Amino acid sequence: MNPNKLVSLKEAVSRFASDGIQYASGAALPVGSDAVAFGRELLRQGRKGLHALFHCNSQQLNLLAAAGAVGKAECGFSGLEVFGFANGLRRAVESGRVVLEDYSNLSMALRFLGGALDWPFVPATVNVGSDIAWRSAFSPDDHPSEKKIPAISDPFTGRELGALSPLKPDLAAIHVTLSDPDGNAIMIGTEWSRFELSRAAKKVVLLADHIVDTDCVRQFPNLVRIPGVVVDAVVWQPFAAWPQGSPGAYDIDEEHMRLMNGRLSTEEGTASYVAEFVTGVDSLDDYLARIGGEAIERLQKSSSSFLLDPYRKWIKPREEIESLLAQNASRGETP
Amino acid sequence: MSTNLSYTRQEMMAIATGREIRDGELAIFGVGLSMLAGYFAQAHHAPNVRSITEGGVFGATPVGGLPWGIECNRISSNAVSFTNAIDALGFLVASGRCDVGVIGAAQVDKFGNVNTTGIWGREIGGHYSPPGTRLTGAGGANDIASGARRFVIMAAHEKKRFVDKVEYISSPGYLDGGDARRRHGFAGGGPSAIVTTLGILRPHPRTKEFELTEWFSFSSVEEIRASTGWDLKISKDAVQAAEPGEAELAALRAVDRTGMLRKK
Repeated sequence: MNPNKLVSLKEAVSRFASDGIQYASGAALPVGSDAVAFGRELLRQGRKGLHALFHCNSQQLNLLAAAGAVGKAECGFSGLEVFGFANGLRRAVESGRVVLEDYSNLSMALRFLGGALDWPFVPATVNVGSDIAWRSAFSPDDHPSEKKIPAISDPFTGRELGALSPLKPDLAAIHVTLSDPDGNAIMIGTEWSRFELSRAAKKVVLLADHIVDTDCVRQFPNLVRIPGVVVDAVVWQPFAAWPQGSPGAYDIDEEHMRLMNGRLSTEEGTASYVAEFVTGVDSLDDYLARIGGEAIERLQKSSSSFLLDPYRKWIKPREEIESLLAQNASRGETP
Repeated sequence: MSTNLSYTRQEMMAIATGREIRDGELAIFGVGLSMLAGYFAQAHHAPNVRSITEGGVFGATPVGGLPWGIECNRISSNAVSFTNAIDALGFLVASGRCDVGVIGAAQVDKFGNVNTTGIWGREIGGHYSPPGTRLTGAGGANDIASGARRFVIMAAHEKKRFVDKVEYISSPGYLDGGDARRRHGFAGGGPSAIVTTLGILRPHPRTKEFELTEWFSFSSVEEIRASTGWDLKISKDAVQAAEPGEAELAALRAVDRTGMLRKK
């Protein structure tokens, strides 16, 4: 009875992503959940001029910025936490190739909430009284900025507040731990802003580490914070966040985090990274081979893997997922 | 000063920061140093501290080493609740409920304003151009600085970092001093201390200018003044901070299992 929204990664990008769109990824966490694999496919298909809305920088934004696919970006945090600065994004911002508008981690989430609620603005008690409000990279001569986070007064008390602009991305690619074929999804670990983002975006594509039977989501409906009704397509993508981690499913690939960020620090390094790990990879098997069998085994032995235990019996085997994918492909229709 | 210390300057800074956190408080820590300081406090003198991360990870302690980030599996393996950013940074921090936060700084000025956005090497002026050196941006620190009842700033004490006025305010301290915070309706009270690799600075109750209140056994008033980019005032009550006790060092090193703070 449940619609089957499974599509390949290639098809998801070709159908939903075009040049110049406002593109959001979820969770957009620097070392944790993010739809990193979607960004790799955006590059393979040559998408350009993206306006990236990332709650925080991730290795995906780092890569897209380094490879020249992004013109504008908005985020709350632009580093890689304990892994240091995001060399690709940093280089692109310092050279002016990417114009980066700064917010904070709460204000990005509030802006997605505003978009989800179709509010004209969101009142804020953060970012005010700082250069986040006074300086705008998008309107560099508007100083102190009156457009970015304008001052408003509380109509009840007169207290001064800031007005945050809402965000409604054209497309959100959202990484989740588990999804059924209809897009009813369970996220293990912090949601960050994926709940709001899934309601704010005009189109939503999920990248799920595992596809589960619908019986699984019927067993834990309280944990399904992204229901299929807001989802347009579901991509089965094991290790979707690699080299970042996915609680319950796999740890951070520390070695690749460093290798990737190291290469992204130069043009030549970026080109070699893209050739080896992006354009040179054209199937799921290829992708998993690049991660490496030994690494896959090691990363799955996470101290957090017990978090996946309650759901394991519903995880669909590869053959079954491929048969669902084939059904959609043969129908040739939009799910 | 080159005495043979049984601890590093980084360890002293982490312990001094941890001493600022009191038992039973609702506390939010960032990654790296501030998390070490926070979990040291919990292990040593504040067992009932209620710690949260920006991502809404509740009740967790690090497993298998220092977490790589606020959302790392190492801080997701013994949590009691996972929620989200609006919950942690909004409901609990911007609302004014959180007692204390700990944030880092690339640059900090005499009123406790923090820059983690970029180094321009000049005043930005009327036209915004990107910084010569782009840093990490505000992250959740702006939200903590705006909403937490008080917050502690940790920074390596160097002249280039301790400046008269930061080039960019990523996270607001007392702005231009006095009661300037009041104009902006912040829920939080502002920075209560800047803990450095050399000592501790605290705000003057009225002017909010940061003054030296404690130096460490291995530092001196002269060294601290020479490492500060403004004419640092010395509080009339300034004293040497207590050296780390054995129990403090043991607790800190149990948390800092990978020895991040012992690297020179």
